[in-house]
Amino acid sequence: MRSVGVLVVVCLLLAVFGPMVAPHDPTAINIPNRLRSPGGAWLLGTDALGRDILSRLLHGARWSLGLAFVVSLLGLIIGTVIGLIAAQGGRLADWIAMRTTDTFLAFPELIAAVVIAGVLGAGTETLIFALTVTGWMRYARVARGIGLSVSSRGYVVQARLAGLSPLAIARWHYLPSLLPSLTVVWTGMLARAILGISTLGFLGFGVQPPMPEWGTMLLDARIHMRSTPLQMIWPGLAVVLSVLAINLAGDALRDALAEQDAKE
Amino acid sequence: MIRIFAGLLARAVVVLTGTALATFALLWHAPGDPALSIAQARYGTVVSKEVLDFIRAEAGFDDGFWTAFWAWLAPLIQGDFGQSSVNGRDVWPDLLTAMSYTFPLALVSLGLGLAVSVPLALIATRRPGSWMDRSAVALASVGVAIPAFWLGQLLILLFAVQLGWLPAMGAERTAHSILPAMTLGFGLAASLTRILRSGILEARGQSFLPAFHRRGVAQRNIARDHVAPHAAVPVVTVLGLELAFLLEGLVVVEVIFARPGLGSFLVNAIFARDFPKVQAMVILAAVIFVVVNLLIDLIYRILDPRMDGRDA
Amino acid sequence: MLKVENISVRRGGATTLKDVSFSLAAERTLAVVGESGAGKSTLIGAILGLVRCASGRVSWNDEPVGKCRPALVMQEPRAAFNPRLSLCRSLMEPIMAQKLVMDASRLDRLCQSLEVHLDLLDRRPDQVSIGQAQRVGILRALIAAPPLVLFDEPLSALDAVTQKHTARLIADMQAQEGFAALIVTHDLGYAAAFADEIAVLRAGQIEEFAAAQAFVEEPQTDYGRTLRDAAFALGALERVA
Repeated sequence: MRSVGVLVVVCLLLAVFGPMVAPHDPTAINIPNRLRSPGGAWLLGTDALGRDILSRLLHGARWSLGLAFVVSLLGLIIGTVIGLIAAQGGRLADWIAMRTTDTFLAFPELIAAVVIAGVLGAGTETLIFALTVTGWMRYARVARGIGLSVSSRGYVVQARLAGLSPLAIARWHYLPSLLPSLTVVWTGMLARAILGISTLGFLGFGVQPPMPEWGTMLLDARIHMRSTPLQMIWPGLAVVLSVLAINLAGDALRDALAEQDAKE
Repeated sequence: MIRIFAGLLARAVVVLTGTALATFALLWHAPGDPALSIAQARYGTVVSKEVLDFIRAEAGFDDGFWTAFWAWLAPLIQGDFGQSSVNGRDVWPDLLTAMSYTFPLALVSLGLGLAVSVPLALIATRRPGSWMDRSAVALASVGVAIPAFWLGQLLILLFAVQLGWLPAMGAERTAHSILPAMTLGFGLAASLTRILRSGILEARGQSFLPAFHRRGVAQRNIARDHVAPHAAVPVVTVLGLELAFLLEGLVVVEVIFARPGLGSFLVNAIFARDFPKVQAMVILAAVIFVVVNLLIDLIYRILDPRMDGRDA
Repeated sequence: MLKVENISVRRGGATTLKDVSFSLAAERTLAVVGESGAGKSTLIGAILGLVRCASGRVSWNDEPVGKCRPALVMQEPRAAFNPRLSLCRSLMEPIMAQKLVMDASRLDRLCQSLEVHLDLLDRRPDQVSIGQAQRVGILRALIAAPPLVLFDEPLSALDAVTQKHTARLIADMQAQEGFAALIVTHDLGYAAAFADEIAVLRAGQIEEFAAAQAFVEEPQTDYGRTLRDAAFALGALERVA
């Protein structure tokens, strides 16, 4: 649990304070300075329009990490609600919720996101919409699975007999059992969201220029691959490192929870 | 068995109908007038109002969502994917051509992924916790974190730009497929290694295995008769999961390497706002996905008859 | 009055309850005895509306039984409490849910009668003994003063000494609070000692329904006689007498 806490804090710090420590304006065009090699005032060099790459990377954290945070949390909320409705709401609600989940799962999520973002027109709102709509199903499955096992426990039966509202039962009796597993799913979905945002950016359906999102930066850098190959390294490295850190934290969390389960 | 198959089939039909409906609803609400783009594709940029009205009536746009949906779905069920709204040509032949580029690449990548991951997972699990195991895990963890679009670029940079050994763009020769297959195969190998490794370890941990050791059954026979079927179940699952990864990777890789496959087909259709093509591609991907998952479900039940679906 | 009229329950093609009917008057005690698998727990579920009946009707004073907010005392005392919450928090659930006002003197009286020390209520379920947990379970069942309380094998998780003590407490509480009690048990000795009437459940059907005393003296069916004789042989009936 602690590793995930640290991770969340680091991600948030980077997204919030990253832009503040950036040495230059990430969108300031400075043509005479274009395609500089790393060194001097431009630690990682400059891009084709003379913008400082380090500053763009730091500002990019707000887009890449911040948006991934938003998208994965929205998915968490929507998925948990749908999963709990399926677990608590009787056979018909379960059937509808699970066939809907199947339908959304029956399609490669990233391709669906590409189609949605592409068709609705590029922009931050459509990006969030596209990735949220395609990113809630795993939460729903986990919430339903655990919810079903919880619903047969004695204390849930007692709460229902006492006349507690479904909302209160969800809050007090389902959520505490769900949270550990949902957190593990969340770390996975956060990593996926980072990859999704940068992939959509790279394909041209994501965050729009001049905003410095990591995938979009790679798309720009691609054209100048021959003259300044290093430009292509940095944004990709940023994606890999953040995804790697999140996955490792998720693995650690999963192992810790499995150990705790084994003890009980 | 027949009842199970009928159940799975019914589920597949529900899922495909849902996908068709969701796709159509999305395009219905997309910004822009679909009739205008069809008219412009057929008759040039300047279009009279009469022509627009004619096209709207023809496609059922005037009679509301459900009529228009049926006007698209009815021919689709009979295998008619409609015509491109950009050049008016039938979509299906173009789709077939694109498939002929995509499927071989997908198969080669999958083969590459398995060829790397299976031996790696076997070596790693011989002694769990050893340096071999740990480096395999580390490699796989880094591997799954590398986005395909970046890896593809790096491979181009190294092998095409710096070394000049391999061609980067296009699909004319076999050599053109090497870098794309490496890109996809690498990602597949990484995630396959992770899942195979834990599958093998889990199978070994099963309680009946120590009993065989005590009875003196040869190590090799245990691996063949008891560990292999248990590792096979996760492999089949993984192939189902990796299918999504493979299809997503194909889109990215085909765009990077400018291959005229299904991925480029989709992305170009979106940019051109050629909605009949987008719809056709989405339905095709859904059919592939559902059919493969159906087969996997069946194999599952044959491998392990106790299994009651994978969502339990 | 609790009225159970011709209820049948089917599960996975098999019938677990078949055409069960009986009634239980206010403040009276009915014990349902039977072997495991006879459908006793299903009967409780059906009365409380937790299990769907294929046919039949359950009512309390001619209204749906849920309206009188019946309470349940469970077989596994600890499982009836959320392991993450304090006992006190679980105890207040009926009060909060039904928007009642908790009368402190009533809580005191209940605690005293059930020998539940107030300190106990700050603990979590795994920090009290099973006997204590069951007494708090009874406390929770009674806290909102329901007219009908169901007991699902209330003694079987307890040791012999605690069993006797808890059985006595349940009887005292009934005298004090005046609820109708439906006790499901496999222990004929317990049933004979504390119930007014006994219903014998066998393979989902009521085999015999009689006043407790009459049943112990002269069962009317062969199965009833087998049950009684088995209880005699084990010494369960003498123990009570």
